[in-house]
Formats: sequence, C-alpha cells, structure tokens
Amino acid sequence: MGGSCRRISQFVLKVHSRCDLSCDHCYVYQHADQTWRGRPVRMSAATAQSAARRIAEHAREHELPVVHVVLHGGEPLLLGAAGLRELLAELRAAITPWTRLDLRMQTNGVLLDEELCRLFVEYDVQVGVSFDGDRAANDRHRVFAHGGSSHDHVRRALALLRRPEFRASYAGILCTIDVRNDPDRVYEALLAESPPRVDLLLPHATWDHPPLRPGSEPTPYATWLGRLHRRWVDDGRPVSIRMFEALRPGGGGTEAFGLAPADVLVIEADGSWEQVDSLKTAYHGAADTGFDVFDNSVDEAARHPGVAIRQDGADGLCATCRACPVVDRCGGGLYAHRWRTGSGFDNPSVYCPDLLRLIDTVDAYPPPTPPAPADRSATSPVDELLDDLATGHGSASTLALLAATQLSITRALLAACRDRSGTTAAWELLVHLDRAAPEAVRAVLEHPFVRAGLVHRLDSSAPPGLSAAVDPLPAIATAAALRAGVPATLHVPVRADAITLPTLGSLVLPGLTESAEVTVRPGELQVRGGSVEQTVLLDPLAPPSASWRPTRDVAVPGGRVLLEDGDPYRDCYGQPVESRLEGPAARALGRTLAAAWEVVHRDVPAHAAALDGGLRAVVPLAPDPARPLRSATARHAFGAVAVTPHPDPETMAVLLVHEWQHAKLGAVLDLYDLVEPGESTRIRVPWRPDPRPPEGVLQGVYAHLAVTQVWQSRAATDPGDASAHAAHFLGWTRDGVDALLASRSLSAAGERFVGQLRHALEETVVGSR
Amino acid sequence: MDHAPARPSRPDLDDLTRSLHTPLERIGVEHADLIEAVRRRVVTNAAVPSGSVAVAAFNSSI
Ligand code: SF4
Ligand code: SF4
Repeated sequence: MGGSCRRISQFVLKVHSRCDLSCDHCYVYQHADQTWRGRPVRMSAATAQSAARRIAEHAREHELPVVHVVLHGGEPLLLGAAGLRELLAELRAAITPWTRLDLRMQTNGVLLDEELCRLFVEYDVQVGVSFDGDRAANDRHRVFAHGGSSHDHVRRALALLRRPEFRASYAGILCTIDVRNDPDRVYEALLAESPPRVDLLLPHATWDHPPLRPGSEPTPYATWLGRLHRRWVDDGRPVSIRMFEALRPGGGGTEAFGLAPADVLVIEADGSWEQVDSLKTAYHGAADTGFDVFDNSVDEAARHPGVAIRQDGADGLCATCRACPVVDRCGGGLYAHRWRTGSGFDNPSVYCPDLLRLIDTVDAYPPPTPPAPADRSATSPVDELLDDLATGHGSASTLALLAATQLSITRALLAACRDRSGTTAAWELLVHLDRAAPEAVRAVLEHPFVRAGLVHRLDSSAPPGLSAAVDPLPAIATAAALRAGVPATLHVPVRADAITLPTLGSLVLPGLTESAEVTVRPGELQVRGGSVEQTVLLDPLAPPSASWRPTRDVAVPGGRVLLEDGDPYRDCYGQPVESRLEGPAARALGRTLAAAWEVVHRDVPAHAAALDGGLRAVVPLAPDPARPLRSATARHAFGAVAVTPHPDPETMAVLLVHEWQHAKLGAVLDLYDLVEPGESTRIRVPWRPDPRPPEGVLQGVYAHLAVTQVWQSRAATDPGDASAHAAHFLGWTRDGVDALLASRSLSAAGERFVGQLRHALEETVVGSR
Repeated sequence: MDHAPARPSRPDLDDLTRSLHTPLERIGVEHADLIEAVRRRVVTNAAVPSGSVAVAAFNSSI
C-alpha cells in the first residue's frame, strides 16, 4: 500500500547535532524527544553524499523546478568552514544538474565570521539567524550553558551579514516570541538589524504542555502580536514580517499557518528520514519514520502516513478546524501545537483562541477607509490595474505603471548584482550618473535586454565558478555615460569579439581579449585591449566606422523603436534570432514596422495606445522556410517583441498586437499570482492538440481576445475573410476563458481578471453584431 | 534550533513604485526586502507554480 507519490521540495539537513548555546526553549534538547542523545555528533561525508543523491534522484524523477535545502542542527556552524565547504560542494554537485538548488541555513550566529560569510556568498547560501530581540528578550532564553548572554555575539553576526559584500547571504531573523517581553522593544531591536525578513515564531507548546499565559488574560499571544502588528502597519510595513503577511486573506501561509501542504522532510545527522522537527516537542520519537537515506528514497519516506496526512490540506485537520471560518488562513496552526496524548494530532492548535483573535486583529487594522465621495468604487490599486487590463488592452496610465514596475525590478536586480559583486568602478559610475544624469541611466535600464543580462548574471543554478556569466554592469554604465556625455573609463567584458552598449550599439573588434578598457569622451569611444587600440568616432556625420555597429531605430507613431539585432541578450526567445541585418533589410523591416503601427492605430486605437506606451524594441527572428510567420515575447524582456521580418504591414500589425498582449500580461505576472501556486492542472484548448498549463491558457486567451478585436474592426470594412477570422478567434477566446474558469486553477485575483475578460468578450460579441 | 520553511514572496506594487524614487546607491539598504522578493520571483522563479509556462517565448507555450 504505497499511496500516491508525494513531491517533497524542502529538506532540512541536521548537519551537526550539538549546539554551543543552551536555550531553555529549544525543542532539540529540552523537549520530550531525547533522540539526539543517541545520534552521531556531525553528519558524516558518506551520509551527506547519500542525502544529496536521494534529493537529486527525487528532483529528477519528479522534475521539480526547485528544491530548498536548509542546513540546520543543533548548530550547523559547528561543522566548521572546511566541513561546510565539503558539504555545500557535495550538494551543489549532486543536485544542480537536475534542478535549481535553493540553499539556506538556520544558525544562532555565535560562530559566524568573515571566512564563513565568504563561503556562504560563494555557494549562495541564505543565512537566517535566530535572535529574539532586545538584550533582555534575547537573553531570557538564548544563553550559553554557563548562563552568559549571547546578545552581543548574535548582533555581531548580524552586522557581518549586513555588510555589502555579504548582504546577498542575509536571509533574515527568526524570533521566538515570549509574552513577558516588551513587544515595542523587540520590534525596535529587530528593525535595527535591517533584516530582509523577520519570522516570528510562537513558543513550542502542546495541549499536554500548554503555553505560558501569565496573568488572567485568555489570549496574551494575540495581544502581544497585535501590538507588534499595529507598530508595523503604522511604520508603513518597513520590513517583511512573514507571519502577518501569511495571515492576510490570500496570504498563502507558512508551515505554521495556512493549508499549504507541508512538503518538508528532515534528514538527521545519522541519515534517518524524519518528519518536521518541531514535532519533537510532542513526544519521544514523534518525528521518526523508521527510514534512512542509505536504504530508502524520498518517495518511501514521503509515503509515511504522518507525512502524507500533512499534505492533505483541510482534509488532514480535526473537525473543529475544518468547520472554522478562518481555516484557509490559520490551517490549524503549527502541526506540533495540536498534540494531545490520547487524541494525537486530531485537535485544533493549543494556540487556537490566540490565532482566532490575531486574525481578527490583523483584519481590523488598519481600519478600512471609507471610499472618498468622488470615488464610487473602493477598489485597490491592484484591482484597478487588473480591471483595466481586463478590458482587453489597458490604458496609457496602466501601461506607464507596468513599465515603472518593470524599471523598478531592473533597478532591484542591479542592486542585487552589486550585493553579489561588491562595489566596482562600474557600480560607482552608475551611482554617480543616477544622481547627475538620471534620464541617461533610465534610458539604458529601460532597454528590454538589460534585465535578461542581469538575471543571467544572478542566476545561481550553475555551480559557482562554472560558466560564470559576464558582469553586465560595465557595459550598462558605459552606455549611460555615453548618453549623458560624461567622460569615463571602465574595463568592459568582451563577448565574441564584441562589446555591446545597450540601446546604442556594438563595438566589434577582432583581437580583443577577455575585457577591454573603454574610454568615453564627447563624441567618441576609445578602446584598448589585447592587440587592439582604436578610437571610434560616434558623430553621425563622421564616415561610418567598420568597428562600430550602431543600433538602428525607426520612427513610429509612438516615438522611436529600436531594431535590436546586436544585443547578445536578445537571444531569449527559445528560437534562433537573426544576426545583424544588412542595410536594405533593416530599412525594409523599419518600413513594415512603421506601416504596421499605423494599421494598429487604424484598427484598434485602444491597443495602439498601449503599444505606444511601452514597445521599445523589435528583434528579427532567423527565417525558417517551414514556418515563415513567427513571433515571440519573453518574460525577461518587457518592451520588446521578436518577429520574422514579414513584409506585409497588415500581417505584422496582428503579430504586434498579439505579442504586446503577452508582454503586458507577463509584466502583471511578475507582480501577482493569477494562477493558484502549485497548480498542476492541464487544460484542453482549441488552438493546440496538447492540454496546456493554466498560465499558458491565460496568455492564450488574452492574446486571442486582442486579435479578435483586430479582425472585428477589419470586418466592418471588409466583410470577406475578416469576419471569418474574427469568428474563429472569438471562438478560441471564449472556449479558452470558459475552460480556465471551469478548471478552478485560478487565484482569487485570477478569477476576477478572467471574469472581467469574459465580460469584455461579451461586449466584443455585441459589438460585432 | 528553530525552523521556518522557505517560502517565496512577491514584489509589492507599492514597494516597486516607491523604490523608483530611491537613489541607486540606497536601494540595497532601504529596499533589501524588495530586492529579495525580486531575486526570488524574477531570478530564480521560485514563486512560479509548477503549472506555469516557461519564462521564454510565450508563443511556444500558450
Ligand atoms: S486552530 Fe483554531 S483558529 Fe485555527 S483553524 Fe483550527 S479552529 Fe480555526
Ligand atoms: S541555538 Fe538553536 S539549537 Fe542551539 S540551543 Fe538554542 S534553539 Fe537550540
């Protein structure tokens, strides 16, 4: 009796089973389960190897997109730098060929030093530090065996992680609360450490050992957390506090709240598979499965009834929780908190009254503001944005907002690159230009392929050291300096004998080595590197230079659009892109694009406005005689579409409208989940023979709706083929929308969006009669 | 040792628009949480549900 195969995506590795602190609330040592006494102190190399192989095997068989591995203890830093390096290398080597590996560590921080921080940055390990707040709060529990304070040690560790060169590895703070502490002081102490995120944990407790409730108040935990929540809201939510975010409607939950399946398994130092750790608080041996990494696969461990029931969402809960109005947010609380001798885990959380009241508190603050008299609807900006796009096109202001979020994402990625590489000359130049000539920096960062370059650089799915992507910052900074007319000199990496300056063009100089020194002067670039030393005049009136290939652009009704056939990062469409077009071909494509843009204005002015607001570059795709008419959009390249250079403007207009729908929706999907996370439904669609994932169907209907509108408009003057095309695309859109709504795979925001699309569709039908 | 499982969050619309007014050199300090959310959502795509389409070309995935 195996049951179905469970997919586990989070693994906790107990790499060292002892600790240098002696916290009195620690469930590893202080609670019912005392199995640690019989375990080896550290995870051996053989155990680590088997564990890594088991995880890799599971990721491969289930084609997991990502696995999270958390190094844990005891205290994982007791393994030492050499031991940790060996372990991290083993995990990366075994797992990264099969999936993206998200490495994390939870530590008390006492032993953290620069060498370890460098190691964590190198292996891209996200480090969470346990810290309970101000000195009094922290030292209430988190002390050394001799009773001494750990506060200064932990603060020193947090200061290290805040340093720019290590910040990339700073995951956040895990704070176990105690209602005897002062919530304001705890809040301030946490904030002072500028953590990227704070996790608040309720003290471990069960119905057998209920939580401390000093005084007569029945729900002190709700009161304490409610106070912290109010401060946090009043301060404008300055840091992500996961508990509060998870408890909001649709917040998604954490292991402790919400019904998300707990797809976690633990590997003990001796290689045994266990269930989540916090179960140790319940009874001796509570977390055992009887399996180990040497003899048993992840699938076998995941079939253990205790693991399986935790993946059953609401069905795995007691009758009280199943009937509870807030069960979708509370999820019955942390599993371990439900334990009672006799009924086992078939109970609500021992914190139930606190949880109920806390959810009320979170809902009630801030109080909902009554709509302003002039504002008839009380929709949030999020709903407004989605509602506007659900008209089928989206207004100019919505497009401007989407473009702004995309620019902001690119700036965040730039800052993330800087976190990773430290302060470089290129970064300093960008910082200077951002102050002195912000428009020049903005123009470069808005180039659609800058994000692709930054993502490529930041993507750590490749093992460290291997296939390191080139640093895109020097080329970005040089392009901005050139646009701003600010003299500068930088070493810029060379790719395939070329240096591409985004938005401007490429220097192609055979004989360059890995990087070249590029000097920007008014009207010229000087390049030095390898056997090359050359000055390139950029004056448009100067004779054309063989080594400078400027990016060409075309005047269109929306302004100017780039013909991007030189940027190496344009190769992101999953199909071959065309290399640099000859002059006549480029001029021909430019003419077609300009005429097609006019056609869009003629046929669907509302779509044309959205196109004007955001399309910046068109990438020619390589011709393929078998499929002469192709087009594509990429999630990492907002503002660009790729097309085969088809000569007919009427056809090109349809491609542009179609692709621009994908670009808009892609930008929305960077911000919102329109499809329920974890959804694996496949939906039958009329436009393809194979069932499609919900997000593909969503993209499909959004594009087909716009194309329907183009053909309907044409049908008004050309009653021939156009009406037939319009009917054809209308049918596809309608069937797709209905299938999506019936699939129950959409999030609440997605339901609303598709519901509105359905409405737009009905208007389209009426309009076509 | 305490354990909180890894869960991705997504970039918040307000944070995104606010950070546009933050000078580049201060983004890392003032918007560390946003950077983290973007890193997860955009770079690693950790938040993308298993039923979603590949990041590349939409046309081949609709
Ligand atoms: S623990 Fe209490 S609040 Fe939570 S779901 Fe169960 S009954 Fe509802
Ligand atoms: S630091 Fe963590 S593992 Fe160590 S005693 Fe404290 S809670 Fe337990």
